[in-house]
Amino acid sequence: MKTIEQRLDEHLITVEPYYLASGNEVEIALSAHKNKLPLLLKGPTGCGKTRFMQYLAWKLRRPLITVSCHDDLSTSDLVGRYLIRSGEAVWIDGPLTLAVRAGAICYLDEIVEARKDTTVVIHPLADDRRELPVEKLGELLTAPPEFMISVSYNPGYQSVLKDLKPSTRQRFVAISFDYPHPDQEAMIVCKEGGVEKELADSLVKLAGMTRSLKESGLAEGASTRLLIQAGKLIQDGIDIQTACRVAVIEPLSDDPELLAALQEMVSSIF
Amino acid sequence: MKLAALSERFYSLVSPDIPNEWDVEEVMEPFIEESDKVCEVILGHIPVIWPVSHSLCYDFLRQAPEALTHLSLEQLPRWAGVILDIYENEGLHSAQRFMQDVVKNHISKLEGSGGLALTSVEKRLLPYIRGIAREELQVVSARETYTDTATIYVPEELRLFQDNDKNFLLYKLIFTYQWGYIACGSFLHTAPEGLPLFSDKEDCLWLREFLNSFAHPPLARDIYHLLESIRVKFFLHKELPGLMRAVSKLLFPLHSPVATEGTAGVFLSRIQQGLTGDETTLHSLLRLHLTPSECQRYLDGKATAQDSARLVPKLYSTLEETDHDYIPVPPLPFQGHLKLKAVETARKVRKEKMGEHFVDLMATYLLSLSPEKLENILKDEERDSGNTGLAESDISMIMDSEFAQTAAQEKAAPLLVTINNEALELPPELDTFTRKFLDEFGQLPARFITSAAGKAGEGMLQGDIGGQEEDARQITGTVIYDEWDYRRQGYRKNWCSLQCKELPPVHSPFIRNTLDKYHGLTLRLRHQFEMMRSQERFVKRQREGDDIDFDALVESLSDTRAGLPSSDRLFIRLKRDERDIAVLFLVDMSNSTAGWVNIALKESLVLMTEAMEVLGDRYAIYGFSGMRRSRCELFHVKHLTEPYGEQVKERISSISPSEYTRMGPPIRHATRLLQEVDAKVRLIITLTDGKPEDYDDYKGDYAIEDTRHALLEAKVAGIHPFCITIDHQAHEYMEHMYGPANYIFVDNVRKLPLRMPEIYRALTS
Ligand SMILES: Nc1ncnc2c1ncn2[C@@H]1O[C@H](COP(=O)(O)OP(=O)(O)OP(=O)(O)O)[C@@H](O)[C@H]1O
Ligand SMILES: [Mg+2]
Repeated sequence: MKTIEQRLDEHLITVEPYYLASGNEVEIALSAHKNKLPLLLKGPTGCGKTRFMQYLAWKLRRPLITVSCHDDLSTSDLVGRYLIRSGEAVWIDGPLTLAVRAGAICYLDEIVEARKDTTVVIHPLADDRRELPVEKLGELLTAPPEFMISVSYNPGYQSVLKDLKPSTRQRFVAISFDYPHPDQEAMIVCKEGGVEKELADSLVKLAGMTRSLKESGLAEGASTRLLIQAGKLIQDGIDIQTACRVAVIEPLSDDPELLAALQEMVSSIF
Repeated sequence: MKLAALSERFYSLVSPDIPNEWDVEEVMEPFIEESDKVCEVILGHIPVIWPVSHSLCYDFLRQAPEALTHLSLEQLPRWAGVILDIYENEGLHSAQRFMQDVVKNHISKLEGSGGLALTSVEKRLLPYIRGIAREELQVVSARETYTDTATIYVPEELRLFQDNDKNFLLYKLIFTYQWGYIACGSFLHTAPEGLPLFSDKEDCLWLREFLNSFAHPPLARDIYHLLESIRVKFFLHKELPGLMRAVSKLLFPLHSPVATEGTAGVFLSRIQQGLTGDETTLHSLLRLHLTPSECQRYLDGKATAQDSARLVPKLYSTLEETDHDYIPVPPLPFQGHLKLKAVETARKVRKEKMGEHFVDLMATYLLSLSPEKLENILKDEERDSGNTGLAESDISMIMDSEFAQTAAQEKAAPLLVTINNEALELPPELDTFTRKFLDEFGQLPARFITSAAGKAGEGMLQGDIGGQEEDARQITGTVIYDEWDYRRQGYRKNWCSLQCKELPPVHSPFIRNTLDKYHGLTLRLRHQFEMMRSQERFVKRQREGDDIDFDALVESLSDTRAGLPSSDRLFIRLKRDERDIAVLFLVDMSNSTAGWVNIALKESLVLMTEAMEVLGDRYAIYGFSGMRRSRCELFHVKHLTEPYGEQVKERISSISPSEYTRMGPPIRHATRLLQEVDAKVRLIITLTDGKPEDYDDYKGDYAIEDTRHALLEAKVAGIHPFCITIDHQAHEYMEHMYGPANYIFVDNVRKLPLRMPEIYRALTS
């Protein structure tokens, strides 16, 4: 069985992740960490939230423990549970407990997807108590100063009802993410997708067009991530039109008319 | 038919309106000679057109007999449909013009095969152009191609090429080119440096006044338009190279023949040809009249609209001819026309719209100020003047940024608005919006601030009376809905006004009596519904779970000790079978329900609510009735989140027969309410007796088709509509209207209270 140290080592980021800041988000996050404040990242999918957390963790030299939330996520999934190992009941820390013990950064991705009764366990951790009760062990853990909790959510998806509770929301320093400025986004696509500047510019232009189709039924346009993926395919020799279709257009919608319209954009740009 | 009979028919068709007798006789007179069949077909359009516009209807009747010399009777409805479309998009005048020339405008379009209709490409090209433009442009069919910056007008059909793929590409080019003029800023609204200012009237488009200031405005206009078309061409080459590459392969038979007379005509039509050709041709043409550096700016894509405007006088003077008039060169299909009046109007509309939004934001902001401050702003208003508005001199808008040194500082400095010497610093949202407005329109008219102050004043008064903000999500008051007109296969825009009202609670023993009467049934229902309730239960012996299953563990340990293979199913897991359902009951309160039906409806509701309370599904109840499209009514009995209590019971008791059954608006409203609800399953259950019908023309096929369409809209929104209808026998229209398996009819109204919970149970399990 792995020791705690081994488990944590896997989460330590040793190579600087590429992150291009679009504002003062890095300073804010560093200051939040210094002041032991939790962080809330909001923004559309694939706009760099996860990457930002990786960068922050690297900068702070803390392990980053990420949990993707879903509606089956239970409190034990976060805090820990007993497992049977060679006939014995052994307690295994959940990611949150692990992070608290080690003073790591715990990142709960898409927090609204978790059930409300699950999210309440972070309440005492996210205010100035910074405590995590582990009921089954009868322990009350207090987070060391290096510990940080950070959550993300995408305001675009949720219906009015599936919103964060104010009592949850009002514990965080909130940083709003959006797609980077076109020039910056092109730089990111260049770097991550390995394509020429000119092609990156055109990909970013395409993304921009898809992002203004809310009224036409496209809730969210192409993310930076998709552009990077298209870039990688193109690098690999797939022709541009095909790469855009499979990596940018098709993932956005299943509606034939809308797909056709998006295809027209591609054929116009490239 | 006799004139008297015809007139009488007319009156019955437009009832309850009673138009002037002379007018009616005048338009009916020619029909005396027509066959009954022809009269019937033509007059059959009156109910569609009359409510839209009386004048249009008269004109239609005047033109229709003549039109029938070219059209077959079967073609007439389509012709009428086009007329209505033109009327709604371009007004009465255009519709009249269209009607007058049946042959030219319609027949040519109906005849022959081939051609590509706008309607068949719109679904694809509308999102396309909106994506390209990154704004909500509209597309409307018209006889001429142009844009007013909010809408792109394109021909209803293209048949320039044999091959429709090419016609499609041309459509795409037209859309894109028209957007190009907008994106390139061709529609100058302020004077470029070095050119004269004209009137400084608030909403005049400078470009229009400028081009009109020449002796021959069409020549000036065409010069400018061509220069701009060149700019757009190069812009598109850079922006959308893929499109331009594809287009260059089109062999344009587009050109109108090159003009042979007049320097201007020859030059401009050759330039026009250059638009579809390569750069070198264009270059050599431009060189004829422009300096090399001027030329180069165009070819490099560096020229601006201001440059084009500045070049107009120069080119104009070289091209103008004194001996004969300039005959305008017809534009290329994708160039379209320059319609600056339309641009001016669209800009005005946009300004007003943005203004309204500003007023809303500003009023909200004012209301958020401290009462003293607000009082101060508004009190002055009363004292100063007898009239309601603030004097314009009392308002000033100072950009704090005027004192800023650098552009960066200017951006950072907040905007200040001063009303009655009260300086207000705008909050971020309002600030951003105001800047956007200023960017576009130069200055913010004081009247917007005045009306915001007025609105805030009203708001303050209402606040005093104590309107508490209970549930912001509840739509109350009057809501406007479109209605489906199957004869046009289109919506009548903003056709119905639905008023949301409260039912007055009445004290009555109705509920108690019902519960007594159905005592046995209620108990049985409770039991049945309890079984359906969402359950949380522990499942044992799972491979993984939240807790250890100690029984299984002990067993497994003993097994191991005993040298037996042990189980790894040692956990307990909490499993939820959640019912996540929201239902909205819509109850017919029309006059025809009087008597037993009404009682049965109410009894059913009582039993349903009892059962629903056990079940725990969220549910809402509304009644509907009304008269005419101007007064559809929706009565609140129970909102979705409202608990079931005395009030709700009293409102159920108070459900009573009222007026007519216009089903579209309440269904649309229910859809809208449910759209905001987060639930796995969303249901609208309608309870009616028979056909939808209203006092006006909402009857027969029209009413059935609108109801059907409203139900379809609900489906599209992910809501399941289901209808329970009480009638003596099943009718054919039911399946068509509700869709198979989406309705059930109950022939014995007395059975409804029994059937309804059954139906619900079957529906949701
Ligand atoms: N500012 C940035 N600097 C560097 N790379 C970026 C930046 N923004 C986005 N990216 C790139 O985009 C990809 C997607 O970003 P990321 O995975 O962080 O998105 P996300 O916001 O976490 O999305 P989701 O909400 O779907 O999880 C990253 O892998 C990275 O390559
Ligand atoms: Mg992520």
